[in-house]
Amino acid sequence: MKRLVFIALLALPIFAQVLTDTPRGVVVAHDHRIELVNGWNVAGVEHATFITANEDRVTVLDALNNQAAIVDLASARVTRVRTAETPIAAIFVKRDLYILARDARVLQRVGGTDIPLAADPSHLAQANGKVYVYSRASGVLQEIGGARYEVPPFASDFEIAGESFYLAYPREGKIRTGQIGRMGPIGPISEVAVGAVPVDLAFAGGGTALTARILAVADPSAKRVWLTESTQSTAKAVARGFLRGFLGLGLFGGRASQFPTGIDRVQTRGRTWIAYDSSSRTLYHFTRRESTVLARGVAPHAFALTANGVAWWNGTSVAEKRLR
Amino acid sequence: MSALLLVLILAQARLASDFEIAQMENQLSRSREFEAQLSGRLNLGDVRAARNELSLARAEYVKAADLAERERLDARRDSSLTRYANATAYAALAQAKLGREARAFELLEEAARYVSDDAETWNLYASAMRILGHPRKAISAARNAVAVAEKPLDLAVYQHALATALIETGNTTEAERLLVTVTEALRSAKFALLRGQAERQESFQIYSSARGDVAAYVSLLNRAQLRLAALYETRGALDAARTQYTRVLDGRSDDVTALAALARLAPNETESARLYADAFQANPFSMALIREYRKNPVTPGTDMQRALVHLDRGELRAARVIFDALLEKFPANETLRALRHEAEPSNAFKLPSATPTASELRALLDAFERLTAEQRTALDQATFTSVVTFDGEEGSTFASGTIDGVPFRFTEPTIFDGTFDTTARLTYRILGVGENDALLLEPLGLENVR
Repeated sequence: MKRLVFIALLALPIFAQVLTDTPRGVVVAHDHRIELVNGWNVAGVEHATFITANEDRVTVLDALNNQAAIVDLASARVTRVRTAETPIAAIFVKRDLYILARDARVLQRVGGTDIPLAADPSHLAQANGKVYVYSRASGVLQEIGGARYEVPPFASDFEIAGESFYLAYPREGKIRTGQIGRMGPIGPISEVAVGAVPVDLAFAGGGTALTARILAVADPSAKRVWLTESTQSTAKAVARGFLRGFLGLGLFGGRASQFPTGIDRVQTRGRTWIAYDSSSRTLYHFTRRESTVLARGVAPHAFALTANGVAWWNGTSVAEKRLR
Repeated sequence: MSALLLVLILAQARLASDFEIAQMENQLSRSREFEAQLSGRLNLGDVRAARNELSLARAEYVKAADLAERERLDARRDSSLTRYANATAYAALAQAKLGREARAFELLEEAARYVSDDAETWNLYASAMRILGHPRKAISAARNAVAVAEKPLDLAVYQHALATALIETGNTTEAERLLVTVTEALRSAKFALLRGQAERQESFQIYSSARGDVAAYVSLLNRAQLRLAALYETRGALDAARTQYTRVLDGRSDDVTALAALARLAPNETESARLYADAFQANPFSMALIREYRKNPVTPGTDMQRALVHLDRGELRAARVIFDALLEKFPANETLRALRHEAEPSNAFKLPSATPTASELRALLDAFERLTAEQRTALDQATFTSVVTFDGEEGSTFASGTIDGVPFRFTEPTIFDGTFDTTARLTYRILGVGENDALLLEPLGLENVR
C-alpha cells in the first residue's frame, strides 16, 4: 500500500497548478498556460505558484523564476513583470497590485517603488484599504506606509479582519490576536491554546454588529477544524481584553468537524467551508456536522471556492461542484 | 537542532573510493532507522555523482525520496507534525537532487509552514535551492538558519551554507569573512572535545549528510577550509591558499580537491606530477580533476593520466586500450564512458597526404580498423615519403623507428643498398598497424637527408 502511495506521488505533474475564482469565472494556471474556463487561454509562467484576482485582472506568480503574468480578464492581454527574488504572494488594493518578494525582503508595488521589509516576509493581507505584511522569522507586522509592530515570530498563518489580526502558531498550539490601526502602539496581544497543531485560519461567519466572528482553525494533528468565536466586536473586545475575546473557544468544540486525514488548510466563503490535507492532497467539504471528500490528488493551491461551490484542477481540466 | 542529520553543502569533487561506498552500503544494511537509511542513500548518491556515475546516483536519490515520502505519510498518520515537517524537508532535498524543481519548492514551503523556527529546515531549504541553481533564494534561507541556530556546531554549518550561496552570487567578501569565522571556530578550543573524538575514532570520511557531531565536524572543517582556500586562490593570496589546502590534507591526506589544487600551485613540475598522481589515485573519475589535468598535463603517474595524455595527443587507439581496461573494472562509470566516446575515431577520415604529418599518421592509426574497402584500396596503392628516425645506429639494416614521433616498423629487418644515417628520407607504403600501435610499413626507397 505504501508503495502505491509513493508511486502516485511520483506521478505528480512536474509543473505546479494554481486556481482562483474571478468575476468572469474560474482561472487556472497550469503547464505554462493561463486559462479562463470556457474563455481565453494565454501563455503563462513555467512554475505557477500563486494566483490572485480582482474585478478585472488576474495575476499568476512564478516564485522560482521571479516572474509575474498579469492578465486582463476582458481582453486576455498579458503583461509580464520581472519581480524581485521569490514572489510568493500578491494582492490587489484598489487599482494597485502589490507583490511580496520574500527572499528580496521587499513589497513591490507594480509600476511603483519597492518597500523594504523585515526578514522572511511570509504573509500579505489587507484590511480597510491598507496593506499588511507579517515577517515570520523576524516577528514583525508592518502596515505599509504606517506603523511597524513587533509580534511573536514563526506563525504559520496570518489573517486580518476589521481591526483585529490573528496569527497561528503550530508548534506552540496557540492562536494569537491583537488589534491594529488607530494611533499609537499595537494593542495587547492575546493568546489562547487551540487544538494540538493549529496551522491555518479562516473566518467562518459572524463578525456582524450582533454576532461574534467565527474562526475556523485547521489542526492536522487532531484531524479537525476547530470552530472558535473570536472578538464579538472591537469595542467589546477592547473592553473585555482580547484573551477574553476568545472565551468562546470550544463553543462548537463538541461538534468540531472530523476528517479521516490531517487537514492543514481551510477556506471559507459565506457558509461554504472546505479543507485540504497537503500530505494526501485530499480536498474536503465540511460542515459543523460532517466532512466529505471532494477530490484526491489536488495540488495545494489548485482549488478555490466559487460563488456556487468549489472548483479544482483535476490534472487535465477544471472540475466544479455546487455546494449551495 | 531538531533534525538528526546535518546537511552540508558540497561543491568540490569528493574522494569516492570503493571503500567508502562499501562502508555506506554496510550502514544501510545494518540499520533500519529512517535517518540512517536516508543519510546512507543521500551520501551514496553524492559519492556516485562525484564519480560521475549519474544513473547510479539518481537511483540512490530516488530511494532517498521514496524513504522520505513514506516517512512523511507515516508521521502524518501518527499526528507527529515535527517529524512530518522534518521528513518533508528531506523529501524536498531528495527531489532537488533529482532536479524536480516544482515538487522540491512545494515541499520546502510546506516544511517551513510547520517549523519556520527550525534552523535545520532552513538549512535544507538553502541546500535544495542551491542544488536547483537558485543561490539568492538559498542565501535568504541560510540567513534564516543562521539567525535561529543555537548550538555552535549548527551555527558553523549554517554559516558555511550561507557562505557557499554567497560565493555563487559573487559576494565573496562576506563569504570569506564567514569562512574565516567558521574555520577559526572549528580549530579553536571550543571544539577541542569534538576534535579529540574525531582523532580517537580516526574519523575522516566526508559526508554531505552527516550523522552525529563528529562526522559533521570532520566534514564541515574539510569543506570550509577548501572553500576558503579557493577564495584565497582566486584573489591571488596563494600562500594563504596553500596553508588552507595543506590543512585539508592534515585531516585527510587523500583529499582530491586539495591535492589537485596543491599540484596546480606547486613550485616545480616534479612536485606537481607527484601531487596530480596522488589526486588521480584518490579519484580517477573526477571530471574537475580531469579537466584541470588536461590543461596542465605534467608527467603522468596513473593509467587514467596516461590515457588522457594519449587522448590529447591524438593517440586514440592507445587511449582506448586504457579506457577499455578501466571500463572492465568500472562499467557504470560515466566519466570513463564519456572519455571512451571521445577516443572514438572520427568517421570523416581522409587518407594521409603524400608527405604525411604526424597527426595524419595518428589519424590513420586510429581509424585503420574502420577503413572502407575503397579507402583500403586507395591506401594500398598510395606511396608516401617522410623523414624518419631509425632505431639503432647508422648503417644499412633497419627494422623500426619513428616518423615525427609516430612509431613504425617493417615486416622484417630490411637491408638497404648503401650506408644511411639514422635520420633519412624514406619512401614507403602503409600495410597496416602492428604491435604497440606501430605503423607497419613496406619500404620502397631510402636516401640520406643531407
